[in-house]
Amino acid sequence: MIVKKIIEKIEGETELDFTFRNKRIEDIKINYGFSRGIENILINKSAMDALVITPRVCGICNHAHLIASVKALENGYLKAGIEARLTEKAKDIREFTLTCELIQNHIKWLYLTIIPQLEKITLTKTNENHALKASYLASTITKALAIFAGQWPHSSYAIPFGVTCDPTYVDIIQAENIIDETIKFFEQIVIGMKLDKILEISSVVELPKIGGDFGRVIQLLISNNMTDIGKSHSRFIVFGDSSLFKKGKSIPTQISNVDIRFIKEHSHLNTVAKDIVYKNKHYEVGSLARGMINKQPIIKNLHKRYKDSFLTRIFARVYEIGILLNHSKKLLSNLDINQPSCSFNSNIKIDNFNGVGIVEAARGSLIHKTKVENGLIKEYKIIVPTQWNLSQGDKNEQGVAIKAMIGLKDIEKATFVFRSFDVCSVCIIK
Amino acid sequence: MKKLPKLLWLQSISCNGNAHSFFNHPEFFLIMSYFELIYHPLLDTKYNFTDIAEKKLDCDILILEGSFKKDLTKYGINIYNLIQDYANRARWIITVGTCATFGGVFKENEPENISGFCFNKDEKKLEYQKYAHKLISISGCPIHPKWLSYVLLMLSKNKKIPIDEFHRPQELYGITVHTGCSRSEYFEWKIDTKGWGLKEGCLFYENGCQAPFTRGSCNRILWNDISSKTIAGTPCFGCTEPEFPKSFLFQTKTNMGIPAKMPLGIPMRAYLTATGIAKSFTIKRLEQKIIDYDSQKNN
Amino acid sequence: MKIAEKKALKREAIIQVSLELFSTNGFHKTTIPDIAKKLKMSVGNLYNYFASKDVLAKEIIKYTSNVLADEIEKVNKKDISTKDKIKDIVTLYFQMAKKRPEMIEYFLRVYLSHREVFNNGCEGMLCISRFITEIMVFFNNGVASGELKNQDFFSAFGLFMGYLGGMVFLKGESVLPKDIEEYIDDISINIFNALKA
Repeated sequence: MIVKKIIEKIEGETELDFTFRNKRIEDIKINYGFSRGIENILINKSAMDALVITPRVCGICNHAHLIASVKALENGYLKAGIEARLTEKAKDIREFTLTCELIQNHIKWLYLTIIPQLEKITLTKTNENHALKASYLASTITKALAIFAGQWPHSSYAIPFGVTCDPTYVDIIQAENIIDETIKFFEQIVIGMKLDKILEISSVVELPKIGGDFGRVIQLLISNNMTDIGKSHSRFIVFGDSSLFKKGKSIPTQISNVDIRFIKEHSHLNTVAKDIVYKNKHYEVGSLARGMINKQPIIKNLHKRYKDSFLTRIFARVYEIGILLNHSKKLLSNLDINQPSCSFNSNIKIDNFNGVGIVEAARGSLIHKTKVENGLIKEYKIIVPTQWNLSQGDKNEQGVAIKAMIGLKDIEKATFVFRSFDVCSVCIIK
Repeated sequence: MKKLPKLLWLQSISCNGNAHSFFNHPEFFLIMSYFELIYHPLLDTKYNFTDIAEKKLDCDILILEGSFKKDLTKYGINIYNLIQDYANRARWIITVGTCATFGGVFKENEPENISGFCFNKDEKKLEYQKYAHKLISISGCPIHPKWLSYVLLMLSKNKKIPIDEFHRPQELYGITVHTGCSRSEYFEWKIDTKGWGLKEGCLFYENGCQAPFTRGSCNRILWNDISSKTIAGTPCFGCTEPEFPKSFLFQTKTNMGIPAKMPLGIPMRAYLTATGIAKSFTIKRLEQKIIDYDSQKNN
Repeated sequence: MKIAEKKALKREAIIQVSLELFSTNGFHKTTIPDIAKKLKMSVGNLYNYFASKDVLAKEIIKYTSNVLADEIEKVNKKDISTKDKIKDIVTLYFQMAKKRPEMIEYFLRVYLSHREVFNNGCEGMLCISRFITEIMVFFNNGVASGELKNQDFFSAFGLFMGYLGGMVFLKGESVLPKDIEEYIDDISINIFNALKA
C-alpha cells in the first residue's frame, strides 16, 4: 500500500510516497517539484554576479550561499596565480555573519518545526506562542549580522579577498550587545542554565541539568520512547573548514580525512534532485555530523548511548546554537579594526579560472563550483546539504533520511523523523 | 467582534526570501494579530497545502510570492490556476518581491515563459487588465518587512494607498535608495571610493551602485533596523526595478567615463555640469579618512 | 532698447575688443586703459562691468567656452551619425578659427599659457564647463550608440581637442599651406578612425 503525503513548511514542500508492508514502512520515495534553474541562470553571467544570484537559491540560508560563492571565486583566482590574502579581520567578520545565520536557522527549526510537532505527537500542546520566540531571536541575531553585511536576507557584502564593510567600534559594540542579549535569552528561555555550563556538559547523565524549552524537548523525547527511532547509517561527513568546524568523516566514530573528488552525483528518473554519495556510500551532514567530527564530548556520549537516533540528531542541532553563540563572541572580541577590509585589486583581470568554495551551512556542507571563461560563468555547480540527507539511495543502500524512517508504523512519527533531518526543500530544487 | 481580514500567502517559483524577511519584522506577531491567517509558508496554520488546493477557501488579502509560469505544477496541482482562482475571489492582491511583481531572478531561467503576476518586466500582461483594480506591488529582492506591514496595515484600516505606474506604494517607492545614504556627501562632491571596504567614498562612479536611479526606501527605513547595503559598502543592485537582475553588477557601466545611467530624472547636461564643477575642487576633509586610528595611539 | 539689453551688448563689446587686443598684442602687454580707449569709454566705466583685468580674463574664457558650447550643442542634438557629427564639430571649430580667430587664439595663447591668472575662480575646468559638458555628451552618445570605442574620457578628449587645437595653432603661425577649411575632410576622417568602435 502506498500512501502519499505532502510535507510542508520545511522551507518549501516535499512529497513522500510511503510503501507500507505488514503495517510498517518498507520503502519511501521522495518527490520534489520543479527545478528553478539557478545553475542555468548563472551561465554567461559575469563571474562576480554569482555573489548576487546564488543567495537567491534560498531565503533562509542565503548568507551561506554567498560565502560559498565568494570562496569559489577566491579559490579560482588563487589557482590562476593571483597573490592576495583575506585579512584576519575580513575572515572573522565573514565567519561572524555566517554564524549568525546558522543560529537563526537552528532557532527557527526548533520553534517553528520541532516543538510544535513534538507537542502534537505527544499531545502536550501549551498555549505558548513558540513562533514568537523564533521571531524575536531571528530578528535580533540577524540585526547583528546586518551591522556588517548591510541586510539579511540577501546580502552580497563578501567579495573576493574581503568584505565591503568598514566597521568602527560603534558597530562592533552594538553587535556584541546583540549577541549578549541573544545569549541571555538562550540561557533563560531555551536552556534554563548558563551558556558556559551547558558547554561543559559531557555525559548523558547530565542531561537533566538542562531546563528551558530544550530541556522540555529532551524529556518529552525520552519519556515518549523516541530515543530509539530515526537511526540511519551512522556515517557523518563535513567538508567545510572554519575556525570552529573541522572537516572530515566519522564512521561511526572512526574519524578520517575527506577529499571532494570522491563525491559522486547520480540522477534519478522522475525527480529533479540527484542522489549523492562519497566513495559510493551515503553520509549524513549537519550539526550532528559536525559534532561527531569535532569530537564534541556530549555528542559523542549521546551517540554512544543512543546512536544516530532522533534524540541525538535533535540534541546536536540545538546544542550547536550554544557553541555558535559562544564562538561569535570570540570572533567579535578578536577583530582588529586597523586591518584592511578588502585586499582585492579589481584592476587585475583574470578571466579564466575554476574554483571551489565550501562552507558549513546550517544543514551541512554546501559546495559551490564555478568555471569562468573570458570573465563569464561557463558552468556553475551547487551541491546543497539537503542532497546528502535527502538522497533517494541506490540499489546498494538507502538514503540517510529514508533509512531513518524505515520500519516505523506511524506516518506522523515518520514525518517527524523526516523533519528532524534539517531539510531545505527550496535549496534542493535550485 | 469585528471580523479579521483573511490573509492567504501563496508561493510559486520562489526562494522563500520574502517570507523570511517579513518574519524578521520586530512586531511580526502584532501585525499578524490584525488578520486571520489562512495559510503561510513558515507558520502553522489551520489549513494545509492540500486544503488550499482542494477547497475554495475565503480570502480577503492574497499575498503572492515567487514568479509565474503558466503550466507550473506542484504535486499534481496547477499552481497558476490555483492562484488565479484565489486572485479572482480576493479583495486585494499583494505581489511581494520582484519575482512576483516583475519576474525577477527566476524569470532568467526561462525568459519567454516566466514572468511576474501582472507585469512581465515593465510590460503589462493580460492579467493586469483583470486585477489592476485590486493590485498592490511590493517589489524588492527581498522586500523589507516594513514595506509589507505598511501595506497590510493601510489595507486593514481601509486607507487608500497612493501607487505609481507599477502599483508600488509611493510612500515607499517615491524616493530613491540614494535618499539618506550615509555616503551622500561623497556623491555630492564626486569623490569615488577607492576599491572596496572603505566607509569613505561614493559607490556610484565605479562600483556599480544603482541607488541614484532605483526606487526604494532602504536608506530611510533601514534594513534590520540598523543598516543598508550602501552603508555597509555594497552597491545597490537595483532589485526593486523591473530590469533586476542586470549584469556586471559590481561595476558601473560608463561611456568614456560618463555613467551610462543618470540619477533618476536628472538630465545628462545638468549632471555633467554639476560633476564638472564639483570635480574642479579638492575638498580636503572628504578626501581624507574620517577616523585616524594611528594618531590616537599616542594619546 | 532696455537698459539691461544695452548693458549686455556693451559687455559683449568689451569682451570682443579685449579678445582682439589680447590676441594681437599679448595678454600682459594689453592694459585696461588700452581696452577702454579702443571702446571710447572711461576706464572707470569699464571697471563697472569688470572689476579687474583678471576678472575680465575669466569672464572671457567663460564667454568663449559658451559660444563654442552652443554650437556643439546644436550638433549634438542633430539626428545624424557620429561620423557626421565629428565633421560638423571640426567644421564649426575651423570656421570659428577663420571668422573669429581671436576666440581660439585666446584659448590657446592666454588661457592655456597663463594658468596663474585663472587659478583662483577658474579651478580645474570650472570656467570651460559648458564646453566640456557638450564634448562629454558627444562622447557619451557616440559610445552608447556603439559607433565609438569605449575608453578613458581624457584619452579621447586629448586626441580630438589636441588635434584641432594643434591645427589652429599652426594656422596662427601661418605655417599651413592650404586654407584651414580644406583640412576638414581629412581631419574628420582621421578622428573618426581613431575613435571608432
